[in-house]
Amino acid sequence: MAQAILQSIADGDKTAVQDCLKTYGGLVWSLARRMLRNSDDAEDAVQEIFVDIWKNAARFDPLQSSETSFVAMIARRRLIDRIRFSQRRISTDSLEDVLAEPVDRSDKMIQISLEAAEAAKALETLRPEQRQVLKLSIIQGMSHQEISDATGMPLGTVKTHARRGILQAREFLGLGDAESYTKEASV
Amino acid sequence: MTEDENEIMLDLLCKKAVYGLTKEEAGLLEQFEAGDFDAGSFEETAAAIGLIDLKAEPMPDHLQAKVMADADEYFSRDSVFSKNEADTSSQRTGQVSHTKVRGSFMDWLGWGVAAAACIALAVNLYSTRNQSTAVAGNGATPTPTQQEQLDPSQQRQRLIESPGQVIRANFGKGNVKEIAEISGDVVWSEAKQAGYLRLKGLPKNDVSKETYQLWIFDEAQDEKFPIDGGTFDINSEGEVIVPIDAKLKAKNPSAFAITIEKPGGVVVSTRGKIAALAAVKSNQLGSTFNDRIFDPPIVKLSLFGAIFSFRFSSTVAPRL
Repeated sequence: MAQAILQSIADGDKTAVQDCLKTYGGLVWSLARRMLRNSDDAEDAVQEIFVDIWKNAARFDPLQSSETSFVAMIARRRLIDRIRFSQRRISTDSLEDVLAEPVDRSDKMIQISLEAAEAAKALETLRPEQRQVLKLSIIQGMSHQEISDATGMPLGTVKTHARRGILQAREFLGLGDAESYTKEASV
Repeated sequence: MTEDENEIMLDLLCKKAVYGLTKEEAGLLEQFEAGDFDAGSFEETAAAIGLIDLKAEPMPDHLQAKVMADADEYFSRDSVFSKNEADTSSQRTGQVSHTKVRGSFMDWLGWGVAAAACIALAVNLYSTRNQSTAVAGNGATPTPTQQEQLDPSQQRQRLIESPGQVIRANFGKGNVKEIAEISGDVVWSEAKQAGYLRLKGLPKNDVSKETYQLWIFDEAQDEKFPIDGGTFDINSEGEVIVPIDAKLKAKNPSAFAITIEKPGGVVVSTRGKIAALAAVKSNQLGSTFNDRIFDPPIVKLSLFGAIFSFRFSSTVAPRL
């Protein structure tokens, strides 16, 4: 049933809006809270994200991705825009948690979806530095420079780890073509 | 595309997914064709990684109400369902203004009609309030088996007998003159977030033209945006039992309203046709029964965009 929400919205079924909010409201809100930290900013972002979701619902293709991935992607676009616009960054007190290896699975953090579990597996296949850079950038919203400052890695190295890491993860998740990964792996 | 261009594009796609692009970079990316790459797959990869270890937090109720207000405005626009509206970039999209009340024309137009309906509703709410009956759910904890098949009536009874708080309120007529003999009640378990309508006198509806839709007024939602309790059709005479399909978590419901809407239902009702109303007298029943006494209660219902308040002398009444 969940897979039909975006299609219903695209078809003009207004009742699907509430289903969308019920199903993905927590996801969008949690992403916004994690990336923006400030509650007021997060609330504004959530409102914008849902408008984006409605606008883009017709573009969702169930053959290419799940609704969860699609919604998360739309949310992430908007959140990145806001971060870039406001230059708001991660609070330093959470850095240690993020940099700690391995991730503590005993806490109450929840794998909210199969996608998250698969992505976690993908990260496990990466080199520790690549994994670290992707976590700081994607999960925490840090820039190249901030990651360089926080970890002591040269800026160019951060960029390289990010690129190679995302390509490899994309490949692991079955989203990319083997050719690009092979080419990248040989660099 | 040359090998160099391919590399630049790969760089941009990775950066877009991981960090986002500057305007200049976004402009540069647009100049390239996607080439051999599925451009969206990079963002999708990053989005999946972004879900890892996400602390799940429920969206605040007031924010849900804001989003629903946005939806009302967004889906009211004629062009909303145009496929052309799909975003093709990650650039900021036009913002929805968050005005709470729209359609001032309707406010003025509906004023006279609303005033009449106000009187009818006041009488109805007063009467249904006084008819509301407490139902104690203080029986032994039922232990249903997984395979047990219960009909709606049995499910309703099971809910009433379940532990915890179960509220019940009687239905009375709304503002549709043709539906004057409505009777029945609603039971709702806040713990289970489930409930049932038991209705008699609600006429069959022509499913090609209209449907019935339930609305739940609770203390968390703005009264202008009650919770959608689901749509249903009446296709038989006599008493019917309808399970409630609340689209959001209802917190301490204080009233239930059944409206007549177009097939499929609506996101926000104009409340032009209210088939039945039930105001909750007591917010609690069951083993821990404890009537709460409120200050002079106020029941508000919006009609045609105008908000009316009804003040009762009773000491127990819903808060809307």
